[in-house]
Amino acid sequence: MKLLKFELLKLRKKSRGWLGPILVFVLIMTAFPLTVEILNKDMGQSFFSVLWIAILLVMMLATEDIFLEDFNDGTLEQMAIKQSSLSSVIATKIFIYWLLIGLPISLIGALYGLGITNSADMAIKLTPVLMITTYIFLNVFSFGNALSLTKGSILGILITMPLVLPLMVVLGKVVIAINFGMNFLGFLFLLLGILSIIIIVLPMIISFVIKAHLE
Amino acid sequence: MIKKFIHQFASPKTYLFQVDRAYPYIFYISLFIYLAALFWGLFLTSEDFVQGNSYRIIYLHVPASFISQSLYLGMAFASAIFLIWKVKLSAYLVRSIAPIGAVTTFIALVSGAIWGIPTWGTWWAWDARIISTLILFIMYLGLISLHDSFTDNEKADKFLAILVIVGSVNIPIIKMSVEWWSTLHQTASITVTEKPAIDPSMLYPLFGSIIGFTGIVICLVILSSKVQILKREKNKSWVKDYV
Amino acid sequence: MFNFKFNSISDAIFMQSSNGQYHGLYVWSVVLIVLLSISVTFLVYKAQIKNIGKKIK
Repeated sequence: MKLLKFELLKLRKKSRGWLGPILVFVLIMTAFPLTVEILNKDMGQSFFSVLWIAILLVMMLATEDIFLEDFNDGTLEQMAIKQSSLSSVIATKIFIYWLLIGLPISLIGALYGLGITNSADMAIKLTPVLMITTYIFLNVFSFGNALSLTKGSILGILITMPLVLPLMVVLGKVVIAINFGMNFLGFLFLLLGILSIIIIVLPMIISFVIKAHLE
Repeated sequence: MIKKFIHQFASPKTYLFQVDRAYPYIFYISLFIYLAALFWGLFLTSEDFVQGNSYRIIYLHVPASFISQSLYLGMAFASAIFLIWKVKLSAYLVRSIAPIGAVTTFIALVSGAIWGIPTWGTWWAWDARIISTLILFIMYLGLISLHDSFTDNEKADKFLAILVIVGSVNIPIIKMSVEWWSTLHQTASITVTEKPAIDPSMLYPLFGSIIGFTGIVICLVILSSKVQILKREKNKSWVKDYV
Repeated sequence: MFNFKFNSISDAIFMQSSNGQYHGLYVWSVVLIVLLSISVTFLVYKAQIKNIGKKIK
């Protein structure tokens, strides 16, 4: 609990850390209707592609230095030595990032969905999908960041991008399911299943990677 | 005792000596099998009822895709051995398989694309198996660049092993993608449980080409691992005598 | 001795199928690409081994 509050405080203080990604997302989603001819039909089709890509890029941006500051000022080392479970610290950190970045983006994205497709049903179904997707992306890209921690470049994140591409394929199917109203719950449970596995496994892998970095 | 056995077996020096002895046999036998199977498939089998003569690309495309996926599984297996038992030779093998995997995946993608032109009318389609194979190709390249971006070799080996294992989630997706989604790609003609969906006269050269190609790829992996071992162990005394 | 399905060399190069299309271009370009990539890979690795051998000596 205390850890939660501590990490929350750290992220809130670094306002560009969480406000930045949200603003970039809003920028992309606002620019999209401006650059497309205002024909309602077409916008409905390509809206989702832009949405998923925007979320992909914004999550990449958000995790760019998720571990970097702590690594640089030694906090990460302290956490690795002191806590017997570094993975729970990492899981908490990712959760906080999701609360402050992923969750607002999901709601904003659903609102944009409502605005562009004019279907409240779509927006309501989109919200949990977005929430799960942002959480999964945050996890995977944090893993990428941890891999290239000492290099500090975007290399690690780019390398883990192929891992989320299968997820994008699934997301495309989810959109079709929402549009035709069939089997949506099935896909939702699939996403929830993937999320639950990733939430548990990835922090453990990331803690292993970080400990290897610190040696 | 098992540890002693593994560490004895896993010395790069004994590996190199044994592999050098076996290499000529593997190379010439598998080359012969591969070329013979290709000759059989290209000239001696009758044309397919639906696809005409372009189906002959199967003798080049299927071994490549099969091998590219198996190479990744081999890398995952070697990575697990490296992480659990800290056998350095395993790490060398993982790094040496990666470029070969990239080459075979490239062959699979290009041969598939060219095959698609007469068969489906298009050389590219965004269906699940093709996308996943493209992802596999990108992953191979990413693995190589990740390992080479580190100056500390020990860290590089560890991270490579981790990334290989995390990325192995892509392999079941490739294999099952033709079952889970209705795609352009046809379902498997050869499975373990059912009778093959392909005529026997076309099946035998296919087996031959798969076996031959496997042998050729093994030779390539042997060469690549030689390069890796010589590079990484160049300060050891036995290396000077070896070259 | 062999039961060739093509009656002449030019038949084998063009590979006309029963639906009238000429498939020779596709098949032979794939054969070329495959054999080329494999041989190039072999040559590259053999050259690398020679280089490393020279550097060590």
